[in-house]
Amino acid sequence: MLQSLPPVIATFAPSAPDGRLSRFAASDLEAFESLFREYQGSVFTWIVKIVRDRGAAEDLTIETFWRIYRARARFDPRRSFAAWARRIATNVAISHMRHATWRRLSSRRDEPAESRLYLDSDLGVREAIIRAFGTLPPKLRAAATLALIEQEPYDEIASALDISIGAVKSRVFRAVHLLRKKLERMGITP
Amino acid sequence: MTDERLQSLLRDAIDRADSELKRDLWPAMRTRLDARTIRVSPFDWALIAAVIAWGILFPNAALALLYHL
Repeated sequence: MLQSLPPVIATFAPSAPDGRLSRFAASDLEAFESLFREYQGSVFTWIVKIVRDRGAAEDLTIETFWRIYRARARFDPRRSFAAWARRIATNVAISHMRHATWRRLSSRRDEPAESRLYLDSDLGVREAIIRAFGTLPPKLRAAATLALIEQEPYDEIASALDISIGAVKSRVFRAVHLLRKKLERMGITP
Repeated sequence: MTDERLQSLLRDAIDRADSELKRDLWPAMRTRLDARTIRVSPFDWALIAAVIAWGILFPNAALALLYHL
């Protein structure tokens, strides 16, 4: 159960100098378990924000840590484990988006889609936006999701995507531009 | 449609994700680690394939190989 997890699971602050990191890099399974338990929550949170599917995000969190474990020999214990884990998690999530269909974790998630049909007069526009957004290229969609929907700071997105802040802004701009064109093609110009 | 209007519509259409992890994933991670631990490496598979190919190409050499095992 998650109650047994330490309270720092939701942070991506740089790791303090920590003997665990050296032991992890030297293939110590206990050190890896300790790091996993500390960072699984923050890695999951980051992934679910990108892929928007909790089930898939759990699998992708495992995949992320599996890749982390395999790459342990290349990890520099003086660097931030959290930032490294987030970069790998982002790559795993974007790779997943290339193959997965866009899940509709849209607004009012507590209501079934059918009830929304009668409650929401803007349903057509909303559905069109969700559909059009889901067809954007994964890299653009990931940047736009993190920046516009999750409202993550641009510097954190840049670090996770391993690109400059300017490149993140460019991706978000291109995503919005492409989204507008797709909506116009669908006859929607609100 | 301005960028601001479109971004506002996007935020209205897609909620922020419910992103809290609600269960410990370590048991699943451990299962994966254990499964991979006993996995035969590609090099071992290549070695097995080479021995089988050798046995097919040179059946007489199989006895010599068995003798040396």
